[in-house]
Amino acid sequence: MSKEEHRIVKGQVMVPYELALGRTWCHFFDCLKEEKIMGKKCRKCSRVLVPPRSFCPRCFEDMEEWVEVSQEGVVETWVYVNMPFFAQELKIPFISAQIRLDGSDSGFIHQIAGIDLSDFDKVRERVKLGDRVRAVWSTEKKGNILDIAYFEPVK
Amino acid sequence: MRRVAITHVAQSSGVESKESLMDFTYAINKEILDKAGLKREEVGCIIAGAADIFHSGLSCANAFDWDGIGAFLKEGSRAEESAFSFIYGCMRIMSGHFDTVLVTALVKGSENPDNDAITSFYGDPFYLRPVGLNESAVAAMQMRQYLERYGITEEQCAKVVVKNRGNALFNPYAHVKKRVSIKDVMDSERIYDPLKTLECSPKSDGVVAVLLASEKRARKLTGKPVWLTGYGSSMDHFIPGDRDLLNGQLKTAAARAYKMAGIRDPQKKIDVAEICEPYAFQELLWCEHLGICSEGQGGKLIDSGMTQMDGALPVNPSGGVLATNPYPARGLYRIAEAALQIKGQAGEHQVDKKVRTALAHSTHGFGGQCHSVVILSS
Amino acid sequence: MGKAVAIIGTGQTKHGRRSDVCYPDLVRESVTTALQDAGITLKDIDGVVLGTMPSMMEGVSSTHFYFAEAMGALNKPVMKVETCGSTGQSIGHCGYYWVASGMADIVLVVGSEKMSEGDGQATMTTVFDPFFQRTFAAGAPGVFTMQSMEWMYRFNIPEDKGREAAAMISVSNHDNAMDNPHAHIRVRVTMDEVKNARIITYPVRLLDVCPASDGACAVIFASEEKAKKICKKPAWIKGLGFRGEEFFYGESDKAIWMSATEAAKEAYKQAGIRNPLKELDVAEIYNPFTYQEMIFYECLGLCPRGEAPDYVLKGTFKKGGQLPCCPSGGTLCSNPIGATGLIRLAEAALQVTGKAGARQVGGAKLALSHAMGGVDQFNGVTIVGSKL
Repeated sequence: MSKEEHRIVKGQVMVPYELALGRTWCHFFDCLKEEKIMGKKCRKCSRVLVPPRSFCPRCFEDMEEWVEVSQEGVVETWVYVNMPFFAQELKIPFISAQIRLDGSDSGFIHQIAGIDLSDFDKVRERVKLGDRVRAVWSTEKKGNILDIAYFEPVK
Repeated sequence: MRRVAITHVAQSSGVESKESLMDFTYAINKEILDKAGLKREEVGCIIAGAADIFHSGLSCANAFDWDGIGAFLKEGSRAEESAFSFIYGCMRIMSGHFDTVLVTALVKGSENPDNDAITSFYGDPFYLRPVGLNESAVAAMQMRQYLERYGITEEQCAKVVVKNRGNALFNPYAHVKKRVSIKDVMDSERIYDPLKTLECSPKSDGVVAVLLASEKRARKLTGKPVWLTGYGSSMDHFIPGDRDLLNGQLKTAAARAYKMAGIRDPQKKIDVAEICEPYAFQELLWCEHLGICSEGQGGKLIDSGMTQMDGALPVNPSGGVLATNPYPARGLYRIAEAALQIKGQAGEHQVDKKVRTALAHSTHGFGGQCHSVVILSS
Repeated sequence: MGKAVAIIGTGQTKHGRRSDVCYPDLVRESVTTALQDAGITLKDIDGVVLGTMPSMMEGVSSTHFYFAEAMGALNKPVMKVETCGSTGQSIGHCGYYWVASGMADIVLVVGSEKMSEGDGQATMTTVFDPFFQRTFAAGAPGVFTMQSMEWMYRFNIPEDKGREAAAMISVSNHDNAMDNPHAHIRVRVTMDEVKNARIITYPVRLLDVCPASDGACAVIFASEEKAKKICKKPAWIKGLGFRGEEFFYGESDKAIWMSATEAAKEAYKQAGIRNPLKELDVAEIYNPFTYQEMIFYECLGLCPRGEAPDYVLKGTFKKGGQLPCCPSGGTLCSNPIGATGLIRLAEAALQVTGKAGARQVGGAKLALSHAMGGVDQFNGVTIVGSKL
């Protein structure tokens, strides 16, 4: 069979959804509008989880206690993303990072920015595992995860 | 083969939930574990019944579902259709590896596009999808053949809606609770003629969980175990034009289930049936294929009153899928309802007879491309 | 363990960009090959299990409908089991349990993916939740890079050493793939080429990363009675385990990775394995990324925590080493995701039955296969042996 006969049909699938946040996550995003990062504490294992959960996945008990966690934390790991793909929300290059906010027991995924990201080698000198970062807030709040605009290195 | 029992059942109220899918799932799993007096760590294996992205906007549904079903660091898996997840749970107990398995099916229909949009993606991108097929369109073609070939009337099909919607009024877990008349059904909009709006199932939120146990554990966990005695499933051709839509794979699936359960005369032996009827006429057609009545007699069956709540063989006392349609979870709903009838715990919609053997049926795909039949016994 | 179950046949497509066939035909290619390998026909099959990655990958929902004929499921009971990247292991487990339950004697298990038809990274991103983490997701490379960085930092692995070991893994997998006629990427690479390849997500470079492949794999499971009757040299299932962690990335410790550790422990327990490095003859590890392969060595108990680079540099896991890993060239050289975990199992079965051709590890009797899925959330392990 010739190459020309390997015909490809182009198509795209778009499907709309309306996904419920529920009370717990709603409250988290409402608090972001007030520049507070809230976690929930498990009364059994005492872990504080951010994002908050209405139940502890390990203990399988309701999590009722809200705890405000620090807006500063430690970089547990990060990735410099310079790879484009369909429907990507952030413009490349960007840094995705896992940040352990002070007062929490889980890694919080967000982005590190506020520094020159154009030269990767310079970025590597600037961002290190174990570094401290702090939240920088968006001036306009929409009640979503980007109300925290990004985390920036604490000098 | 080790015996498997359903020991406990929990299901969400039919009301659309404002909670996230994760919290919605957790509540029911917490409830069933509390009912059984078990901690999640004590369950041998946990299996989800969930369909992925088209039903949730999330790929790899088991990933998001894992926390809510209580499966952190537990042995587990996910099957896409909830009747599959049920039988997979049973297999795990039969194998001797596990004594308890928690099976949970979940979906939030209220968050998704309508069923017609979702089922259009069953179609391949080159042929069936471009020509506009979805589950309702194929069902309408199937219904037209059914009416023509056997002289079934549209009114007889409408009676199924009247019966099932009527039954749903007594089921606290049903979604759509509104009594309708034959005239209401006949006057409702012909969206896929001859199918009318009220003959098509809604789109519902639903989480349903069943706890399965080996014989020894089941007797410790409950005084009323419900035993799995039969299972059969079968797959038909993909392209509807390749098959006889009125003579599909349900007969094969049922024959397998009856053989395993040792049932020769289903009409006599089965006390109550929960049948998956996303479209009203399908309850009649499926009853024929299940041997509840003979070929072409579906219309007479509904006329006779036999399948009414107080009839000789009540079909869908829960209100069926016409009242509650959490699509990928609806198969496990049928199984859970059949189990409740045997346990005598169906509450207001408990049928007024001794239930020893119950049948639960699930189907998905264009015109019933795939069917599963489960036989449960006291 | 319940009833004994064996693998009596396997079939794989040529993996790669397969725009010469439509998706169902690709599936059928693996099924036909597996039936021929087992010397049976569709009539002998009691049930069929199918699994793929999420349907968004190819844009067709519930593919067990689409593949009804191609996977030989017409008039037969089917199961559709999926657990993201670990699907291949999960469907293998389903095949095992179906036969072990006594409900079927012979079960055909099929895994497939046609990644050239969709956007793999965009699809992977939809595994993340839409509220918190999807915004920052960068497909699979993003996650695996974060995990690798965390692991190296945790165990004080110098960057150069990690780099050197990862490059060695890439070179040996590429070398191995030369022996595998099914492999997608079949080119030799040098250490320098790996170390200087284009950066994908630092420190991961192009040659540290698997390709996006089209491919399918079929494996036939049979009861002890049938296996002994049909097959001269079956591969017996000795142990299996599957574990998952919490959904949100960041909640569990991915440098230790409990799900991988616990899944392996469970499989070892069933197989009666105490010292996997010593007792296993070959391992097929799901290694879409070189660095991640090292984390797996540690989680699967093949070396102490933090020491994987030392073992790699010693050549422990190379062809001819103490425990050859991925003689097939691994996921690094072929990754049709829904099939990949099952390919690992098929390769392990080929090894213990002496049918692996040029990639055969001499005298292999006990082999491990593995797959990982979700956002570093799931791990499945199956161990096969030449003896019942």
